[in-house]
Amino acid sequence: MFDFSVVTQWVDQFLRSFMPAEMAVLAELILIGLCLLSGYALIALALIYAERKICAFFQCRIGPDRVGPFGLLQSFADMIKMLIKELIDINHVDRFLFNLAPFVVIIASVLAFGCIPFAKGLQVLDFNVGIFFLIAVSSIGIVGILLAGWASNNKYSLIGAMRSGAQMISYELSIGLSILTMVVFAGTMQLSAIVESQAGGWFIFRGHLPAVIAFVIYLVAGTAETNRGPFDLPEADSELTAGYHTEYSGMHFGFFYLAEYLNMFIVASVATTLFLGGWMPLHMPGWEGFNRVMDHIPSIVWFFGKTAVVIFIIMWFKWTFPRLRIDQLLRLEWRYLLPLNLVNLLLMVVVVVFKLHF
Amino acid sequence: MNSIKNYLHGFFSGLGSLTTGMKTTLRIFFRKKVTEKYPENRATLKIAGRFRGELIMPHNERNEHNCIACGICEMNCPNSTIRIVSEMQPDEAGKNRKVLTAYHYDLGSCLFCQLCVQTCPQNAIRFLPTFEHAVFTREKLFRRLNREGSRLMIRPQAPAGNQ
Amino acid sequence: MLTEKITSILPEGAILEEGNPTTVTVPAAAWRLFARQLKEEAELHFDYLACMTGMDWGDTLGIVCLLESTVHRHSLRIRIAAADRQNPELPSVCDIWKTADLNEREVFDFFGIHFINHPDMRRLFLRNDWVGYPLRKDYDAGENNNPVRLESDETPDATSFFEADSGGEIREKERILFEEDEYVVNIGPQHPATHGVLRFRVALEGENVKKLDVYCGYIHRGIEKMCESLTYPQMLALTDRLDYLSAHQNRHALCLCIEEALGIEVPERVRYIRTIMDELNRISSHLLFWSALCMDLGALTAFFYGFRDREKVLDMLEETTGGRLIQNYNVIGGVAADIQPDLTRKIKEFLVYLPPMLKEYHQVFTGNIIARQRMQQIGILPREAAISYGVTGPSGRASGWACDVRKKSPYGVYDKVDFKEIVRTEGDSFARYAVRIEELQESLRILEQLADNIPAGDFAVKTKPVIKLPEGAYYKSVEASRGEFGVYIESRGEKHPYRVKFRSPCLPLVSVVDLLARNNKIADLIAIGGTLDYVVPDIDR
Repeated sequence: MFDFSVVTQWVDQFLRSFMPAEMAVLAELILIGLCLLSGYALIALALIYAERKICAFFQCRIGPDRVGPFGLLQSFADMIKMLIKELIDINHVDRFLFNLAPFVVIIASVLAFGCIPFAKGLQVLDFNVGIFFLIAVSSIGIVGILLAGWASNNKYSLIGAMRSGAQMISYELSIGLSILTMVVFAGTMQLSAIVESQAGGWFIFRGHLPAVIAFVIYLVAGTAETNRGPFDLPEADSELTAGYHTEYSGMHFGFFYLAEYLNMFIVASVATTLFLGGWMPLHMPGWEGFNRVMDHIPSIVWFFGKTAVVIFIIMWFKWTFPRLRIDQLLRLEWRYLLPLNLVNLLLMVVVVVFKLHF
Repeated sequence: MNSIKNYLHGFFSGLGSLTTGMKTTLRIFFRKKVTEKYPENRATLKIAGRFRGELIMPHNERNEHNCIACGICEMNCPNSTIRIVSEMQPDEAGKNRKVLTAYHYDLGSCLFCQLCVQTCPQNAIRFLPTFEHAVFTREKLFRRLNREGSRLMIRPQAPAGNQ
Repeated sequence: MLTEKITSILPEGAILEEGNPTTVTVPAAAWRLFARQLKEEAELHFDYLACMTGMDWGDTLGIVCLLESTVHRHSLRIRIAAADRQNPELPSVCDIWKTADLNEREVFDFFGIHFINHPDMRRLFLRNDWVGYPLRKDYDAGENNNPVRLESDETPDATSFFEADSGGEIREKERILFEEDEYVVNIGPQHPATHGVLRFRVALEGENVKKLDVYCGYIHRGIEKMCESLTYPQMLALTDRLDYLSAHQNRHALCLCIEEALGIEVPERVRYIRTIMDELNRISSHLLFWSALCMDLGALTAFFYGFRDREKVLDMLEETTGGRLIQNYNVIGGVAADIQPDLTRKIKEFLVYLPPMLKEYHQVFTGNIIARQRMQQIGILPREAAISYGVTGPSGRASGWACDVRKKSPYGVYDKVDFKEIVRTEGDSFARYAVRIEELQESLRILEQLADNIPAGDFAVKTKPVIKLPEGAYYKSVEASRGEFGVYIESRGEKHPYRVKFRSPCLPLVSVVDLLARNNKIADLIAIGGTLDYVVPDIDR
């Protein structure tokens, strides 16, 4: 299996060959930043296209098909439109906070994006507490949303932001606990180590019942965390027109939009890493030939393939269910998910302690 | 105990209803799509013959129409969409007769109520099922229905059908 | 019986004329007491104020009320004239029949009649700075009076009303609608969930709705006023534009009313065709209701399924009538053209097509736990309130009030077909939803019975070129998709009507939104609006 660290080391050596070490590090930082941001933008565009196509297919339509073959260039056209749109200057807003909010949201998601192991040897940040860091930075986004709602000086925005606050704080618990369940199983918080330890079998198979329950809870809570349907109360279009980003225009709105899609990607890729083996290929114990073939598929394809499946499931949720009401949303979390999660955590501990897993 | 039963029942029946919905949408996901690709499908597009798109005055190959400028359509129009300009001209017998000079019709304020067509004693006007009427200025919606140099059909033949 | 009973309580100065229905002319001073008696006497029990029409009889202003009893099924027309044309005053009956609330405001708006003790004498449709009362016959419609105003209309937080104290002295007082420190949110006029340009001002407490005030008139076109200067055939084109989702049914009501006045008997074939078209229209309307409700509740996918299937109905309607929404199909004495020969075949295909789709609807939405919890036990409208507010149609039937005009006083061929009047008793949002879905199935049943049995014959009878209604007042109602749609025509024997009033089913629907949404969440307000299924042009007319 191709190891991307070969490439990164080669770049490192190449840079060090003609500049001092500090300069090389600086150049690498810039390079990584550029790669990360362009990757971020590309993935967001791909996701927007995928969402439009998938939702169209659920709705008996064919979706965008005018710009480029199969409408493939639609997202690019939209991006260009978004970039050249005017940033409308609104009276009676808290200008500083209003302009800050989209950046807070996007920075949170870029930071989280940096933690993800995309392929073998292709990971920007790899701490020993990687998963902890990821949860921490992704929670910053909520501050941005609250700021946006508050600074807009708009009643719809404020209600949207308040809903968002209640929702994200509640579901953070479920996300944290379901991730904790898997951390108990893996025995480490380092993302690369978690992936490595799934070489012998993905956690969702090895951890059987508690892992499956944790996976489902994680998906539900992750969908809620990204403010996507059926949990899109903060921007419930039929109630609050557009919720917390009602007043935003142009690229400021674009930031919220990008962050929403990237957060979905992050949720899906964390699910992939924790439950579905990350970039690890599918191995069947005993099927040597099959395993050999699987190994030939590059790790990056494995990672994005699995993430795509998870994303499809999240989209499937959104395009099937009606929106929850705020009390239903909180009831789901506090009455069903949280107790289930705690029981599941206990179950996982039992499984690990008594070595009941595969 | 009962409350726990209710709790669990609520949980699982809820989960069941959600999976039913997801199964249905997934089935529809793979079904044939219903999107109509307009304008590519212009050739095959079927518009009902009775659809009221715009009012026209049929002319025959000799540039003759059926309108006798009686003004009944103008009177019946609830929105004053039609304006008839006529003049008195002597016919072959030397009698002065009303002759149509211009039949003005404003597509922009037409209600498509069809009263003009229904009340026309000569079947001189009818609706066409065309629908691509978008224009940039309102002036373009003011139409003159009788063609340049057209005149009344001398022996009114079987009038054009009143669909 | 009815006449005797009424005669026994007839106030002094009142005149009773027998007819269909019995008409009573009541002096303004005696109206309130008489109204109370009419409602409370067990043998009369006039609990449903079907229609209230403001009138300008030339020398006097007044109102015409059509009362019905839901128990005894009899009806009564009452004419009340205000004494003074310069300063017309009538006692309010909005505490006796709740539906009078908005109706009296409408009469005030158009005729300038002050209703004493009505708690809220604001204009309902027109701007607050409107000069004059447009439906009065001496109204000057010149441009100087009411030029196009470019500045926006201030929305005051208070309203004035007229109160009579014990001595009979009438004083104007002020009532606060929204306090200074209330969190008031505008929902509409431009809002995705108001289904048109309707505006609510909602006082919120967190997510909960504390109170709600309805503002109508953003799409008021003055159709009733326009009708006064149009001939009867010309008027027909405007009814389609009231509730555009039941265009055919509205026009059916107007045609029935005119035909009854003229004594025209339409051929059997016409009655079949009209019934079929009514039901197709109802199906298309209820499908749109389903789609729009799903979208309001956030299930956008379901919205497309409804529209996909509604398209098939619209295609059928278009082939025969030439219109998708504005159909222009009914004419006085028949229909505009014979049905297309393959309409029955298409209807039969549709009858096979729709039931499996309805099953899918149930799988995707009806059974869904989220949807159910968002609708069940939310926005409960009790039966008495439904009658008092005049909430007819599926919304009224969901509250247990069997108010289907098709059963009450059959028109078309509804007396010949076998169908069930869907009545539920819960009165909540889910009941309103379920009634409509079940009505879809009943409509399919009606079509099934009719499609093959259309008798041969003419599709219209010849009418005179100039139609003049004999002098008198006529009222006829049909069951439109959203409730009882009535047409009240007062004619003075000319070719134009003297006064036309459309009893819209949607005005009562918005009048109950406040009652239903109070103490519920904003999301519930949207669901309640969705299940009431009002159409704004029908409210505003």
